[in-house]
Amino acid sequence: MASITLTVNGATRTVEAAADAPLLYVLRNQLGLSGPKLGCEMAQCGACAVLADGEEIRSCVTRAANVAGRSIVTIEGLAAVWAEQRGLDATEAAATLHPIQQAWIDVQVPQCGYCQSGMMIAAADLLERNPTPTEADIREAFSNTPPSPHLCRCGMYPAIIEAVQRAARAMAD
Amino acid sequence: MDSPTLTRRTFVKTGGALIVTLSLPAWAVRGAAAAAAGNSLDPTVLASWLEIRADGTVVVRTGRAEMGVGMSAYYAQMVAEELDVRPESIQLVMGHTDETPDGGWSADFLTGAENLRKVAAYTRGALLGLAAERLGAPESALAVTDGVVSGGGGRVSYVELVAGQQLELTIPITGDLASVSADGTNIDNAFGLNVSGDPALKPVRDYKVIGRDFPMPGIPDQVTGRTVWIGDVRLPDMLHARMVRPATLGSTLVSVPELDRSRFPNAQIVTKNNLVAVVSPDEWEAVKAARAVQAETRWSSWEGLPGSDDVTAAYRTNTEPMAAGDADAVGAALAGAARTLEVTYSQQYVKHAPIGPYVAVADVGSDGTVTVHTHSANTQALRAHIAMMLETTTDKVIVRWHEGAGQYGRASLGGDGAEADAVILSQLLGKPVRVQWTLREDLAWSGASPGWVADLKAGLDAQGKLVAIQTDWYAPHQNDARMLGALLAGMPTIQPLAFVFPASFGFQPSPGGVGGDPPYAIPHQLHRAYSMQSLGQDAPSGVGLRGNIMRTPGHRQNVFALESLVNEAAAAAGADPIQYRMDHEPFPRLADLLQKTAAAAEWSPRPSPGPHARRTGSAPVSGRGIATVMRFGACWVGIAEVEVTPGSGQVRVTRFTLGVDPGKIINPRHLRRNMEGGIMMGLGEALKEEVVFDRGKVTSDNWRRYPIPTMADMPEIRLVQTSRDDAGFGGGGEAANTVPAPAIAAAVFDAIGVQPRRTPISAAYVRQLIEQA
Ligand code: FES
Ligand code: FES
Repeated sequence: MASITLTVNGATRTVEAAADAPLLYVLRNQLGLSGPKLGCEMAQCGACAVLADGEEIRSCVTRAANVAGRSIVTIEGLAAVWAEQRGLDATEAAATLHPIQQAWIDVQVPQCGYCQSGMMIAAADLLERNPTPTEADIREAFSNTPPSPHLCRCGMYPAIIEAVQRAARAMAD
Repeated sequence: MDSPTLTRRTFVKTGGALIVTLSLPAWAVRGAAAAAAGNSLDPTVLASWLEIRADGTVVVRTGRAEMGVGMSAYYAQMVAEELDVRPESIQLVMGHTDETPDGGWSADFLTGAENLRKVAAYTRGALLGLAAERLGAPESALAVTDGVVSGGGGRVSYVELVAGQQLELTIPITGDLASVSADGTNIDNAFGLNVSGDPALKPVRDYKVIGRDFPMPGIPDQVTGRTVWIGDVRLPDMLHARMVRPATLGSTLVSVPELDRSRFPNAQIVTKNNLVAVVSPDEWEAVKAARAVQAETRWSSWEGLPGSDDVTAAYRTNTEPMAAGDADAVGAALAGAARTLEVTYSQQYVKHAPIGPYVAVADVGSDGTVTVHTHSANTQALRAHIAMMLETTTDKVIVRWHEGAGQYGRASLGGDGAEADAVILSQLLGKPVRVQWTLREDLAWSGASPGWVADLKAGLDAQGKLVAIQTDWYAPHQNDARMLGALLAGMPTIQPLAFVFPASFGFQPSPGGVGGDPPYAIPHQLHRAYSMQSLGQDAPSGVGLRGNIMRTPGHRQNVFALESLVNEAAAAAGADPIQYRMDHEPFPRLADLLQKTAAAAEWSPRPSPGPHARRTGSAPVSGRGIATVMRFGACWVGIAEVEVTPGSGQVRVTRFTLGVDPGKIINPRHLRRNMEGGIMMGLGEALKEEVVFDRGKVTSDNWRRYPIPTMADMPEIRLVQTSRDDAGFGGGGEAANTVPAPAIAAAVFDAIGVQPRRTPISAAYVRQLIEQA
């Protein structure tokens, strides 16, 4: 067991975990953050995706110990990221979702919803790099960004494309 | 009793509720065990389908759950519509066997919806009676808006009507809850209770909520991380388990190694017969220890499978079919036909392949009570399976439902996941146990939709019209609901009946048709199904390749063959495939939808193959094809447009147009989601998906070896929805996935002039077709 200090959703947290424990297990079991999902556990699906310094990583194959010092964000922390970017006051912040989350609700993206935490993280990563993605950009990002495509067995790809573009518009406002 | 009665019992000081409860059917008074088996229907505790709470919330309870196709929205809409309340006021309790009254099969939305509509209508009727009394006006003079009754110059809300009193409405029901059959070999009543009688239902023309894009209530919690998914359930003192699976689907245990205590101080190996697991309070320790144990565990060898490359011969073992049709008349019609077609179609095994592998938590108490947490689509049936396995009664078992990864019918018969494992381990250890399967395990050890092969014959008259068809279907059955954990542990399981769904073998009226009608008029038909047990079921472990139903069972198999046959017959007749269908007197709603979908796809009539069809070159050649299906009150038409690269054999779907007429559309947006999702799933099966197995085990056990569609595979999608006020409600959550494969196969034929007759239509298969042409 090792003592690992992580910055997750803006808070500094120290946990006791095995030196080789995946970030996914530490987030879910030690930190009570169940947004990231257990999928393939081999970087093939995207269900476990989280942001590290704004960039998507797969928490199933990333050791928690290796991201000490990076800022980790899960879907539980997306709204706060947006509130900070927009300088919202506490009351506004409490009532505001990240535009990506709002778009996912407005467009009614999820069917079972299991993949969608990872999909929203992928959307945040994309919109950080490209605030006005075309449909082709979105297809490319969700299909061909290493280490794997983001998979949705329910096939909600059309809704995801619609929601990413809706979020992009809301974020540009 | 068959009409509702309203009684006002105790006066309650605060709040008040109108509780709709079941009239007690015969089984509930058969004895203590039977009564308790009725969930919260214990006569001393008022069960309820529906409660109007003092704050205006309407609590609705159904044993059916949200399977990711929108039921949680549709049920709320159904109840809100009949009750005349806002859908937002509905709070659904779904799936828990101890908190819901009816049981049943989640995919069977139409029955579930009919139940809740009637419950709501009975409730509304009772409330109107109370309001008439209160307002001094006849019921016929009352109107209800958003839960407020007005008439006779006054107004009173539902909440005011029920405030301060406990009102019980007793309504008639039929059916029974799932239980172990008397001979102990199967599960009875897996489809739950039905509300009976004929309460006055609102006319369709007055609908305000049905037909609207009501959202799924669970989505805000999902996108913010607040949902407690099945994988998030944690009980005090709980152990995490990972399973150690046999070397093959038929192997038995030879030896288990010692656990290295220095590396895994808190872990423990648990075995029962061929069931092997490693548990630890720490999940990551359980994972690592299980991997270490897996590497050192020895199993007997077994080679009882045919291997997926060479499997179709293995299906042709049964010589005694179930048959429907007149063999003599069909024989004579085929003999007298101007032209006959004889073709063989097949599909490989495919997987439900949920994005999240199965997980379950069980707590077996020292008193023999069992609580199982699951995302099964049939919690009542699962409860009966667990009771059978433990040789106990269903009243000892509570099943709690949680959201989970979409499973597309895999859990419709009970539990095809970690539930049995968790129960067995908890019983052995005396603690709550959480079993998380791995993806590899999920793809290699769960049930699969079986492959099949079918020989079809068609007779065409001098004008090219179909006068006779004969079909012979060979396949392992798809009802092998034996639980893996129980099989490996050597505990009791059901003994599945080897039969093929009637819809699996022909243009059958129901559920193959709509309202008892076949899609086309073909005068002489003979359909025969040769079913068999699961491949490898006679293995020493008893497991084998279990066949399980998957989204649109029956039609997922037969539509590929039958619609391909119609397309091939059209080509043989030199006819446009849509016009050819129109020439066979299609069911009128189907005819209408064919026209609308063709228009949306900008279809111009001509026969296949297309004028530019070719089988050489590295430039893509385009093609288009069509397929239809009728199922559970809905008609579907799919038109695929593809590009085939002859040199590589690569097939790309560029556009897919899908039309549906499901009767009255409940929720256009979520119907759209089902259409889009169905296209993607069907496209995956058409082009990519195949369970690969060798002589002993499934080897397509990760997403690279079992590739499912990605966003890059998504074609342009065009959708056509036709809502009808005069045709009831039809099924919208499935069936869409059946039309892509035959439509894409027809489109490939249109492009290269060779007909694919199996799926997946991989590049290698297309190359093979071209080389053999
Ligand atoms: S669970 Fe991490 S990529 Fe699949
Ligand atoms: S919404 Fe079900 S897997 Fe994506």
